[in-house]
Amino acid sequence: MTVTETRPGTAGSQPAPNPGQRLFAIPTKIAKSPLSARVLFPIVLFAVWELSLIAVEEIWPFAVDVLPTPSEVGGFMWDEFITDTLARKNLYETFFISLRRLLSGFAIAMVLGTALGLAMGLSRATNAFCHDWTMAILAMPALAWALFNSIIFGFDDRGPILTVILAGIPFVIVNVREGVRNTPRELFDMARSFQVPQSKVIRHVLVPSLMPFMFAAARYCFSIGWKGLVIAEVFGGQDGAGWTIKFWYDAHRAHGVVGYAAFFVIFAILFERLVFEPISRRAFRWRPQLQTEVVEEAFGEHHEHYGEEETARHG
Amino acid sequence: MAEIRIKNLHKEFGVGDDKVVALEDVNLDISGHSFVSIVGPSGCGKSTLLNILTGIETPTNGTVEITSDGHVAAPGYVFQAARLLPWRTVTDNLLFVQEDRSEGTKERCQRYLEMVQLGDKGDKFPGELSGGMQQRVGIARAFSIEPDVLFMDEPFSHLDAITARALRRELHHMWDETKKMVVFVTHDVGEAVELSNRILVFAKGGRLEDDIQIDLPFPRDPADDEVAVAKAHVLRKFEELDLLAS
Repeated sequence: MTVTETRPGTAGSQPAPNPGQRLFAIPTKIAKSPLSARVLFPIVLFAVWELSLIAVEEIWPFAVDVLPTPSEVGGFMWDEFITDTLARKNLYETFFISLRRLLSGFAIAMVLGTALGLAMGLSRATNAFCHDWTMAILAMPALAWALFNSIIFGFDDRGPILTVILAGIPFVIVNVREGVRNTPRELFDMARSFQVPQSKVIRHVLVPSLMPFMFAAARYCFSIGWKGLVIAEVFGGQDGAGWTIKFWYDAHRAHGVVGYAAFFVIFAILFERLVFEPISRRAFRWRPQLQTEVVEEAFGEHHEHYGEEETARHG
Repeated sequence: MAEIRIKNLHKEFGVGDDKVVALEDVNLDISGHSFVSIVGPSGCGKSTLLNILTGIETPTNGTVEITSDGHVAAPGYVFQAARLLPWRTVTDNLLFVQEDRSEGTKERCQRYLEMVQLGDKGDKFPGELSGGMQQRVGIARAFSIEPDVLFMDEPFSHLDAITARALRRELHHMWDETKKMVVFVTHDVGEAVELSNRILVFAKGGRLEDDIQIDLPFPRDPADDEVAVAKAHVLRKFEELDLLAS
C-alpha cells in the first residue's frame, strides 16, 4: 500500500505575494489593529469637539462663551486634581463621601439581595411571593427613588444610601436566584456518593458555583448603585459627587459639569480595573485561559468578556 | 472480602397506568475480587440497579446488602462524566473526597495519580486537562479512598476509541493490583468481555436474563480469537433475547 502525503504550502499551492501587498502589509496591520483603533478614538473625539465649537461660533458666536473647550475642561480637571477648587469640598473629600455612601448601600444590597436570592432560588413559594415586587423595583428608575428618598429623609446620608440599595438590589436578587437554579446537580450527587460532609459541600461546591453569579451581581449592583447615588445626591445631598456636579451647573460652569462627569467615568473605570478585575482574576483562575491576541491582553482585557469579543471579531 | 447480596429486588416507578417496572425480581450474589459487568439495552434497568446499589434510589421491594468482612462496605464511584470540581486542582479534587488532609492521605492521593499516569498534573485545574485525563482523575479519585467496592457507570462512553482503550488497560491493572471488587455498567459488549470475569445480561423490563462467566486470561486483546469468540457468544445471547433489535 502506498501512502501519499500532501503538504500544505508547497510550491504551486499558493500564489507568490505581490510586492505591492508586502509594502503595505505593515501599515495595514497597524491600521487594522485594535490598539490603533482605540488610540484613534480620543483623537477623533477631540477633533470633533474642537471643530464643532468652530462651527457653532460661525453660526452663533455667543454660544461659545457657554460651551467648554477641551483645554478648559482639562484645566478644570487639573485644578480639581491638585485640590484648587471653588467648591466647598475638594475632589478627594467629595469622592470619599460618595464612596462611603456607595459602599454602605452596596454592602447592604449585596447581603439582603443574596439572602433573598437564595430564598427565592430554593423555594418556589418565596419566589412567587417576591417575584413581582423584584420586577417592580427593577423597573423603577433610580430618579424616582432619589426623589422619594429625598422627600422622606431630607438632606442626610440615608436618602442616597437607600437609593443605592433600591437601585442595586434587584440585580443581586435576580443573579443569585439564577445562580441557585443553575447549581451543578451532578457535583452534589458526586459529593453525596462519596459521603462528603454537608459543610464541606457548601464550602467547596455551592459557594464556588455561585461565584460567577455573585460577581455579575456585584458589578451590576455597583455600577447601577453608583448612577443612582449621583442622582440622589443631586436632589437630596449637601455634598458628594452628585451634589458637586449640580454645584457647577448652578454656577453656570459648563467645563465644571463636563469635567466632573469625566471624573465619574474615571472613578468607575479605576474601580473596575483596581478592584473587580484583580479579585475576579483570582477567583476565576481555574477557568481555561483563552488564546487572545497579545495586543488585546496588553489592555488588560477581562477574560470574562472573551465570548463577546470572539463573536464580535468573527461575526 | 467485599460481598454484594441482592434478594428479590424489585423497583417500580410511577403509579397506576404510568407504572413502569425497572427491575423485576433480581437475585444476585457477587463476592471477592470480581470484575462484574452489567450489560443490556437502554431501559433494561442497569442504571437503576447501580443507583440502588449506590444508595441514590431505594428499592420498591427486596433487599440489597453490601458488606466487607461483616461491615458495611465503603464504596467508590466513577461516573459517566468525570464530575470534577472545576475550581479545584487535580490534587484538591482527590482531597475533597477524603476524610482528612494528613500527609499520609496526600501521599496516597499522589500514589493513585501516578497510577493513572498523572503524577505531574496535580497542580492543574480540570479545565486544563483533556477529557481522557479528566476521566483518569475520576478513576484515581475513586481508588484513592481505598473503597471495598467500585461502581462505574459507563466511564469510557464519552471518550474516543483510542483513549478508551488505553484507560481500559489502566483500569484492568488497577483492579488487578488493588484486588478490589468492580461493578461496571456498560452498553459496550466488547468492553465488558475485555475487562470482566463475569457478565450480567439484563433484558427490557429489568429481568436478569443471563449470568456469563468469562474465564480467559488477562490482558485480553479484542483481536484475539478467544476474546472474539466470547464477545460473539454474548452478542448471540443478546440476539436470542431479541435485545439487539430494541
